[in-house]
Amino acid sequence: MILETLRIALRSMASNKLRTFLSMLGIIIGVAAVIAIVSIGTGARGEVTSQIANLGSNTININPGTQRGEGGRISRPYTDIFTLELGENIQNFSPAVQAIVPVGQGTALLISGSSNIRATVVGTAPDYQAINDYFPERGRFLLVEDLDVNSNVIILGSEVAGDLFGEEDPLGKKVRMNFGNRTHIFNVAGVMQEKSIGLAGNFNTQVYIPITTYMQKVANTRYVDSYIAQADSSTDAKIAVGQIEYFLTRSLGSSDKFRLTSQDQILEVIDQVTNTLNIMLGGIAGISLLVGGIGIMNIMLVSVTERTREIGIRKALGAKRRHIMRQFLIEALSLGGIGGVVGIGFGRLGAGVIAHFGGWALVISTVSVLLAFGFSLLVGLFFGIYPAYKASRLDPVKALSYE
Amino acid sequence: MIEVKDLHKTYFMGKIKVPALRGVSFSVKDGEFLAIMGPSGSGKSTLMHLMGCLDYPTAGEYWIDGKEISSISDDRLAEIRNQKIGFVFQQFNLLSRTTILQNVEIPLIYRGVSLRKRRQLAREALEKVGLGHRLTHKPNEISGGQKQRVAIARALVNNPAILLADEPTGNLDSKTGQEILEIFNDLNRQGHTIVLVTHEKEIAEYSRRIIELRDGIILKDEVVV
Repeated sequence: MILETLRIALRSMASNKLRTFLSMLGIIIGVAAVIAIVSIGTGARGEVTSQIANLGSNTININPGTQRGEGGRISRPYTDIFTLELGENIQNFSPAVQAIVPVGQGTALLISGSSNIRATVVGTAPDYQAINDYFPERGRFLLVEDLDVNSNVIILGSEVAGDLFGEEDPLGKKVRMNFGNRTHIFNVAGVMQEKSIGLAGNFNTQVYIPITTYMQKVANTRYVDSYIAQADSSTDAKIAVGQIEYFLTRSLGSSDKFRLTSQDQILEVIDQVTNTLNIMLGGIAGISLLVGGIGIMNIMLVSVTERTREIGIRKALGAKRRHIMRQFLIEALSLGGIGGVVGIGFGRLGAGVIAHFGGWALVISTVSVLLAFGFSLLVGLFFGIYPAYKASRLDPVKALSYE
Repeated sequence: MIEVKDLHKTYFMGKIKVPALRGVSFSVKDGEFLAIMGPSGSGKSTLMHLMGCLDYPTAGEYWIDGKEISSISDDRLAEIRNQKIGFVFQQFNLLSRTTILQNVEIPLIYRGVSLRKRRQLAREALEKVGLGHRLTHKPNEISGGQKQRVAIARALVNNPAILLADEPTGNLDSKTGQEILEIFNDLNRQGHTIVLVTHEKEIAEYSRRIIELRDGIILKDEVVV
């Protein structure tokens, strides 16, 4: 009986293909939008999350706060509060902080033979590699002994190594560094592995020297620019943020003098942005499904009118109200369902194209497919009820004499 | 067995009452071949709708197989149409998009007969009217006379108590029309009760009894000699 009715519905849809397609268009667009949105949302979020993971895991950046400009002074970050000792004190105070490294950085011109290149010089400590999940490919990274004796060792980022030495092995070679208006000679002790470019910027164009060497020989400063702290887990990272905040506020006298950025905070901001986008796009999808439903209702009403005589014949031959109701409901459901399937196809296509250009993997979740399909059936059912009801209530005598 | 007792039907055109039947009574015994005759406007279509359980009377009673229908539900009425009445219309009223076999199956579908049984019964009914070889054709691929045979097969397929034919030859040439009337004659001889509605005397004379209607009442009710 149901199968029979479904066959009748499909036949009547096939007999007017263009009209059927047009009436399904709203549903198709709505469903395609849902599929594409969910897929793009998931893909983009995955991309952003992997970029954040690129920052190193469970890390907290501690940066100086910004002074207010008053009495003719220009507003700029504090540069005279972060010392090496302060970094150590943070770690001593906060049990949630598993490691912390100071970072001092500036730009220098590096020269080797006839090649030279401008690069970012990062003065830091051995733990930097573990915190950033970034290790040497050849040679070694900075050692504690290097920091103890302010040695002139330098570790090159992969791009810097290529630019300065080409195919040659840079290990053991000497590099001249022009920083400010002074020149220093450094020994190359290692070359870092290549690291993909993420939110943290390009590690490959940086070079790494001991923080002590950086402060005392190169930049001539008693202060570091920032710290990177690391916790064991994301829960610990949250605790660490609280502990560092407390400690720094107490020891610096003001919470304005520093700024903490954790991955959780970045993730939260990104989540907020994607949520807002999802709500907006979901709204658009909802509206097009609604319009699609009205399209189905419209075409079903036309179909009921056109087939008044058929309804009359069926009633004369013994169709009850529920038989007629079922016939038209199944037709509306088929419109919704087929529209849904076509829409899922189009949505997949659209998501695929965007994933290709966005450079992330295409993810079509089963849940979103089922949800979209379910919704299109629901829309078909809901907007089919009135036309089907109208058909079922037709007076057989009038319906039979309908021309 | 059919009994019509003082049947009234009044239509309302806005506020104006239009009486179509003004008290009609008669009975039809099983196996009769009856013609209801009258010009247009005589009330014969209204009477046919009531006898076919397509409509409710304004007053009076209509008994079919021991059941009175003027106070039963719409769905029960559909059941009675399905099981007790077979319709043959002037315009054939076949569903154009479905095959001949499927057209004949429709009453069986609404009766809830299984697909295999349906196929078999529909085929048998078509064979009875000489169309056993055209099962997969669509209605627009066959002649008018053949269409009416399909309609008769469809009317017979549920083995109804009464076959109601409304101007069954109205859309056919006279030779084909006679063939159709012969089929009714044969069916009557096999025991089927047939009610033929027509405005033509020659056609009415194929039956054994003629009821003549005029202005919603019975003028004559006589046996054909």
